[in-house]
Amino acid sequence: MPAIDATDISKRYGTVTALDRVDLTVEAGEAFGFLGPNGAGKSTFINILLDFVTPSAGSVSIFGHDCQNDGVAARDRIGVLPEGYAPYERLTGRQHVEHAIRAKDADADPIAVLDRVGIRDAADRTASDYSTGMTQRLVLAMALVGQPDLLILDEPTAGLDPNGAARMREILQTELDRGATVFFSSHILEQVEAVCDRVGILQNGELVAVDTIDGFRDTLGGGTKLRITPETLHEDTVATVRRVAGVETAVATSEDRLEVTCTNDAKMDVLVALQDAGVDVVDFRTEESSLEDMFVEYTSGGHA
Amino acid sequence: MNWRPVARHEAGVLRSTRSFRYLLGALVATVLLSAYVYPVIGTPPYSTARFTGFLAGSLTGLLAFVGVLVGYGAVAGDRESGALRLSLSLPRSRLDVAVGTFLGRAGVLAGVLVAAMAGAGVLVVYPYGQLVVGPFLAFVGVAILYGSLWTGIGLAVSMAVATKRRALIVAFGLVLLLAVAWEPAVGLLEYGLTRAGLSTDGLPRTLKMLIGLVPGAAFERVVTSLLDPGAPPSGPSALGGVTSLGVLALWTIGPLGAGYWRFARSDLA
Repeated sequence: MPAIDATDISKRYGTVTALDRVDLTVEAGEAFGFLGPNGAGKSTFINILLDFVTPSAGSVSIFGHDCQNDGVAARDRIGVLPEGYAPYERLTGRQHVEHAIRAKDADADPIAVLDRVGIRDAADRTASDYSTGMTQRLVLAMALVGQPDLLILDEPTAGLDPNGAARMREILQTELDRGATVFFSSHILEQVEAVCDRVGILQNGELVAVDTIDGFRDTLGGGTKLRITPETLHEDTVATVRRVAGVETAVATSEDRLEVTCTNDAKMDVLVALQDAGVDVVDFRTEESSLEDMFVEYTSGGHA
Repeated sequence: MNWRPVARHEAGVLRSTRSFRYLLGALVATVLLSAYVYPVIGTPPYSTARFTGFLAGSLTGLLAFVGVLVGYGAVAGDRESGALRLSLSLPRSRLDVAVGTFLGRAGVLAGVLVAAMAGAGVLVVYPYGQLVVGPFLAFVGVAILYGSLWTGIGLAVSMAVATKRRALIVAFGLVLLLAVAWEPAVGLLEYGLTRAGLSTDGLPRTLKMLIGLVPGAAFERVVTSLLDPGAPPSGPSALGGVTSLGVLALWTIGPLGAGYWRFARSDLA
C-alpha cells in the first residue's frame, strides 16, 4: 500500500489555481523529495495531506486512509513538521513532547527524544523563548514520537545551522533505515539531494516531473558538465565544440574558460575535437549536474 | 475521540496564565463578598437556598464577561499564532479540538465556581444561616451551565473567525448586546410603544417571551422559579423554570455547534 496516493488533486482560490491535477504516489519506505520554487504549491499539497485545506477536486490518502474523510486515521501513524506553525506559548520543550506522546498515545521518554534532536539542555525552558532552529528541532522531536510510519516535513531545515541540518539528515537516515517513509518538501536542493531517492518537481501548481535523481541526470543529457581551459580561446572554438554529437550547450564563460554540458560518453569526443582543431587544453574538470542544475532546467521551462 | 489531551492542555493554559488567574480570582472574590454581605443587606430568613436569588443578580452579568473572556481567544489565538497547525498535525480532529477546548476551559471555570460557592456556603451558614443543600447544589450546577454557556459563545466566535482581535470584537459585541444593552433596549422599546399609543399594557406577551429568551433572563428565571423560595412569582408572560433551563442548554449547544460548523469547513492556510 502506498504511503501517499494522490489522484487529480486540485486547489483553487478564486481564480488562482494553487494546485492543478496533481497525481503522485509515494511508496512505503522511500524518501521522496518535493521540490519547487516558493509559491509552487508544495505547502498547499501538504496542507491537503494534513486536512488543513480541502481540495477543490481529487482525493489523497495516507496508507489507504482518505486525508479529508478519515483524517484522524490518516494522521495516526505520521509525524509532521508543518509549515507556518508556532509552539504553544507557555509550554516547555519537555511539555511539548509530553503533549505529543499523549496525543499519539505513545510510550516514549521525552528527554530521550529531545536528546536525539539535540535540545536536551533546553528541555525545561519555555518553547516560545527558543530560537527558530531550536523550535524546528523541537517540532521534529514531536514528529518522531511514536515511531511514525511516515514523516512529512515541510521545509524542515529552515532556521537550522549547518550542524542542525546535518543532525536532521542523520535522524532521517535512521528513520529510513527503520523502514519509515520520508516526504521532504524543500527549496534547498542539496538537502533534498542528500536525503531523497526520488524527487517531484512542482511548478505553478503542476507536478512537472517525478523521477529518481539519476533518472533526471539521464533525462537531462547525462548530466555531465565540463569546465575546459584552452591555451587560447578563439571564436570558432566554441562552435567546434557545439558540433560534437552529444553536446547540449557550450558557453565561453570568460576569456579563457569554456563550459560544456554533454552526455557522459561525449566527454572524450569534446577533448578530441579540440585537439583536432589545434586547440591545446591546459586544464579541464568534469562534474555531474547537481540537482540544482536539473531543477533550473525544469523550472525554467525547458522541460515543463 | 482524542479530546482529552486538548482539554488538559487548555485547562493548563488557563491555570498558568496570570490574566486568567486574576479574572477567575475576581469571580471568586465577588461570590465570597456577596456571601459575606448577604446576612447584612439581605432579608431574613438567611439560608443557602435564598442566597441563590441574592447572588444570581451579580453573577448574571459577571459570568457573561468572565465566560466569554475564558473562551474567545482559544482557537482564534492558536490559529493566528500557528499553534493550531501544530495541534492539528497530531492525530486529532477539529471536533476533538472544539470539544477539548470547551471542556478544558469550561471545566476550570466550573472548578472555580464550585470552590467559590463552597466558600460562600460556609459564609452564609456561619453563624446564623441555614444550610439547604438541594437548591444550593442545584444553583451551583445552573451557574456552571450559565458560565459554560458564555464560554461556549466565546469559543464559538473563536472558531468562526480567523484572528483573536476579530474574536474579541464579535464576542464582546454579543456580551454587550445580550447581557448589557438588552434590558435597557427592551425598556426603551416599551416606553416608545406606550408613548406612540401602540400599547397600553406593556409589550405583547409573545414578544415578552421572545425577549426573555436571552441567557441572563433565562438564568435568573431558573433561579427565581426553581431555587430561591423567597423570590416573587414570575408573571404569566414569563417562561417557566424548566423551560428556561432548556433555553440555557440550547444557548450552550447552539452557538458551539454553529462555531464548530464554520471551523470544520474553513481552510487553515
